[in-house]
Amino acid sequence: MQPVAQRAASATFEFAETVGSMGLLTARTMASAVTPPYPYGREFLAQFLFAVRLCWFPMIIASVAFTYGPAGVQAAGFLNLFGALDRLGGLFVLTVVREFAPLVTAIVIAGVAGTAITADLGARKIREELDALQVLGVDPVKNLVVPRFLALMLVTALFNIYALIFGTFGGVLVTLQYDAPLGPFWATYFDNATVTELWASLIKTTVFGGIIAIVCCYKGMTAKGGPEGVGRAVNEAVVMAFMGIGAFNYVFTQALLATTPELTVVR
Amino acid sequence: MSFALEWARLWVVSFGRFLQFVGRVVGSIYSGKVLGFFGEALRQAGILILGSSLIVFGLVFVLGLQCGIEGAYAARTVGAPYVSGAITALCDLREITPYAFGYMMAAKVGTGMVAELGSMRISDEVDALDAMGINSLIYLCGTRLLGMWMIIPFVYIGAIAVGFIGSYIAVVLQIGEVSAGGYFEIFWSFQDPVDLLYSTIKGMAMATLVVIVGCYYGYHASGGPVGVGTATAKSMVANILGVHAIGMLGTQIFWGGNPRSPIGG
Repeated sequence: MQPVAQRAASATFEFAETVGSMGLLTARTMASAVTPPYPYGREFLAQFLFAVRLCWFPMIIASVAFTYGPAGVQAAGFLNLFGALDRLGGLFVLTVVREFAPLVTAIVIAGVAGTAITADLGARKIREELDALQVLGVDPVKNLVVPRFLALMLVTALFNIYALIFGTFGGVLVTLQYDAPLGPFWATYFDNATVTELWASLIKTTVFGGIIAIVCCYKGMTAKGGPEGVGRAVNEAVVMAFMGIGAFNYVFTQALLATTPELTVVR
Repeated sequence: MSFALEWARLWVVSFGRFLQFVGRVVGSIYSGKVLGFFGEALRQAGILILGSSLIVFGLVFVLGLQCGIEGAYAARTVGAPYVSGAITALCDLREITPYAFGYMMAAKVGTGMVAELGSMRISDEVDALDAMGINSLIYLCGTRLLGMWMIIPFVYIGAIAVGFIGSYIAVVLQIGEVSAGGYFEIFWSFQDPVDLLYSTIKGMAMATLVVIVGCYYGYHASGGPVGVGTATAKSMVANILGVHAIGMLGTQIFWGGNPRSPIGG
């Protein structure tokens, strides 16, 4: 049994090494995405369709559930006590567009598409297909990581729009459940909606997609052999992706709210 | 058309298999057979506490901070920073902690179990257990479920505390528009022990689902190391659907008809 301090130090060192390697992979991916040649068009399309096919159904369930519960039932119950249920629309802009839709999109993409990517790349790694590619002179970063990176960024931003639509549908359900007219809901919704908010939401989800792709590709490409290797890689990838999403979400929201005071004006 | 029918039939069959598996695992606990392996159940509980609880607390803490800044800015929007406590109380206790807990349990515990049990399955260790006359289903899955049930209420309440601390840090220490006393007065008056009970029921239901799904996919893994990886990825899909369904139903059942807030009559 090693002393606790020594174990903690080595765990910290390992973590720092992983994060550093992921940073390097990000830099290599970005550089390789913009330097010619561009052989990854077909793979990009395949990965994009793969992610859409896997995620569309969990996405709908998750975004309706997540906004119907926290933003819908809780907020509507609270507002109804004041007789101000029409304010639910404004609150939906605040919570769903800014917070819940990006978060739920990222969770679903990381949990569904990200894990599938890690399992796929991990399988190629332990079958030594990645080494074979390198022997053939094919760059795995350019041909495998770059298309996944771009596809996940696009898919996450795109699904954010769907999460917004289905999330707002959750609010409509709650309003109907209270037998309230929908007119005031839409009126306060569109009064409070701003273009800045939507842009911020899209930028945030694009970065989420990048984080998920890098974490999942890195963990897949460094999967170890043995019967447990790929499964363990998927496990570590999804844990790291969730923590990365949470941390970036906090920093981004805080920076956005602090730098654009016009978002925090009620209309 | 026939394709859709075939797809539906496959789905129903696999769902039925899953229910059968749930029945056998829960039955092994209910009939007390799992108590023959109580030491193993304690060991699994220990692994859960030492290996996973800190990571789960981490995500809960980050989302608690998130609730805090959203609550503080929303309260400032209506010109009453004093009431941020009301928003964080509802957000933390009732919704975000259960979800964050469910997500991280699925990510850390659920997929970890699939990887572990799946590798046992493909290296024939599960069959070896059966050949030695040990009921592998009870020894591997029953003990994990029992161990989880023994400790999760405490881990969950710890997670709620961590979420509360996160919100406190964000609202009082970081944004700093309300004093600690003012924050806590509103914060504690917008929750009572019954809310805590409801929230714990939600968290328990999610954790139970995650463990059973993890055991199911791991116990039935096939196809070598690659198959284990695929099973791990698939278990995450099932977990995400299940966690959201439980969260939505729980909110509707517990708070849908009665907002349980100290406002008005």
